[in-house]
Amino acid sequence: MMLRGIWAIVVLDMKRFWLEKARLVAGLAQPLLYLFVLGKGIGASSQMGGADYQRFIFPGVLALSLLFTATFGAITIVFDRQVGFFKAVLVSPVPRAAIALGKISSGALQAALQGLVVLPFAPLAGLPLGLGETIALFGGIALASVTFSALGVAVAARFTSTTVFPIVSNAVLLPMFFLSGALYPLSGAPRWMQIAAHLDPVAYAVDLMRGALLDKFFFSPWLSLGVLAAVIALLTWLAVLVFRRGEDDSSLGATQFNWRR
Amino acid sequence: MPSASATPASAATPAVEVRGVVKRYGAVEALRGIDLTVNTGEMFALLGPNGAGKTTLFSILATLRAPTEGGARVLGHDVVAERDAVRRAMGIVFQEPAIEQRLSGRDNLLLMGLLYGLPTAAARRRADEILGQLGLAEAADRPAKTLSGGQRRKLELARALVTDPKILFLDEATLGLDVDARRGFWGHVRGLAAAGCTVFFTTHYMEEAEVADRIALIDQGRIVALDTPRALKARLGGGVIRLKTDDDTRARAWLVEKNFTPEAEAGAELMLLHADPAAVLPELLRHLPVKVLRAEVKEPSLEDVFLKLTGRKLAGDEAPAALGAGGAPGGGRGKGGRP
Repeated sequence: MMLRGIWAIVVLDMKRFWLEKARLVAGLAQPLLYLFVLGKGIGASSQMGGADYQRFIFPGVLALSLLFTATFGAITIVFDRQVGFFKAVLVSPVPRAAIALGKISSGALQAALQGLVVLPFAPLAGLPLGLGETIALFGGIALASVTFSALGVAVAARFTSTTVFPIVSNAVLLPMFFLSGALYPLSGAPRWMQIAAHLDPVAYAVDLMRGALLDKFFFSPWLSLGVLAAVIALLTWLAVLVFRRGEDDSSLGATQFNWRR
Repeated sequence: MPSASATPASAATPAVEVRGVVKRYGAVEALRGIDLTVNTGEMFALLGPNGAGKTTLFSILATLRAPTEGGARVLGHDVVAERDAVRRAMGIVFQEPAIEQRLSGRDNLLLMGLLYGLPTAAARRRADEILGQLGLAEAADRPAKTLSGGQRRKLELARALVTDPKILFLDEATLGLDVDARRGFWGHVRGLAAAGCTVFFTTHYMEEAEVADRIALIDQGRIVALDTPRALKARLGGGVIRLKTDDDTRARAWLVEKNFTPEAEAGAELMLLHADPAAVLPELLRHLPVKVLRAEVKEPSLEDVFLKLTGRKLAGDEAPAALGAGGAPGGGRGKGGRP
């Protein structure tokens, strides 16, 4: 029931995602702006030099794209709770954990797809993709997608209003992105920003992907892998908890009725 | 712990069993001790005004909320302890839409099958079967949002039927539909009931409640009466006289003085129960000291029964036709909006 439940949720979400496949193209706007406008502009006057800077921020921009796609996917939870098919899901025998896991999987899948659409622009940013780098990068994209999707679901599952979520999401996502070292080398950043980056899962994801492409790491890749795995485990657990708690609504500790009279 | 093994779902097991259910939302007591039993294969209606506790009781039986006190069983399964068994056995149509409007009917039903653990091919077959049965085959591939209101409601029913439920829960399932669409919808439901499916529904359309084998009238979190429609109406005895006069206050005073007992009704009419209304009406018309604008004698309706028992009117009954016509007040209506 667990696996079938996850599968059903993924099929539901991917069918809906496919209706809006134009989002994959629209989703290119933000990363390309960062890459070819911001990147070019800042790069021209940075110590790194224009071409180098664009190369440098490419993995960061990729992470940005994954982060926003994954969390946007999670917003559907908030909306679904109020109306729609999700209500039918909630009265089905699908385990609540399967709903959380299905949501995380489909969000990750959507993010990874978006990542694959951004990837072909790497050569234009001065990064010819060799086979080895591409495979390593796929691994990074997969890991980052799952992390960001778990983050989105763990947060979104707690909200009941669609209007609040984007605000909270921006208050969380943008700081995470800016502190991640996506747009500047963490090695040259002030101490407090380096400390903050250590607490930011996005920083590890960016660093892994950058390492895969440029072979330059700020964190040890093993540390990054370990941290991301731990973050995924923790957030998934939190998401499952929220979905389980929804079961008993407001009644704290529903009494079990004694049917044997 | 309730023992599942001791209560197998057999013919002897009631379809629904509710014992002493109390539901509190903070200080608000939505249900104040509900007891009822629904037999297998029965069509059972829960009738009451908004805020009476209909949706709360419905949600408890549908495993969406847990009772604060007491317990409920559906087909012998405890709705809290054996939630998944209840979910597997029931089909449910909500007042609000629970289909993905952007996807086709076929896709919606396919997904429903997957959720209940059917393999993809079997889910597909089942979807086609149900679409055919409900006459939705032609509309099956259009996005649900492009269907008519009646078709969409049928699709909701189809969604509930994908898993071949033994019991069907309908919460104001035809709200906002026109008379024809409602008739079509209930035609299907009656067919299911005839085939042995238990149907438990809430409504505030009187004529819909009339099709039930038994009706529970609920008011302020309590069941005030539970019986067949005929027996409920027989409780009033005789019939109902409704009068509209140019001075209802004076007319009421006169009636009381003559030892009649007009109901304390909120509406703009006088209502009088009498064992032989047709015989007494001419008498009344002759002697009433006010001008009678309109007089009516009729069989008591469920509305009258409810009024007699609670002193309150059921909501939304005055103009059912107007309610049925298109843009009804939709899903909100202050239901389920509780914390």
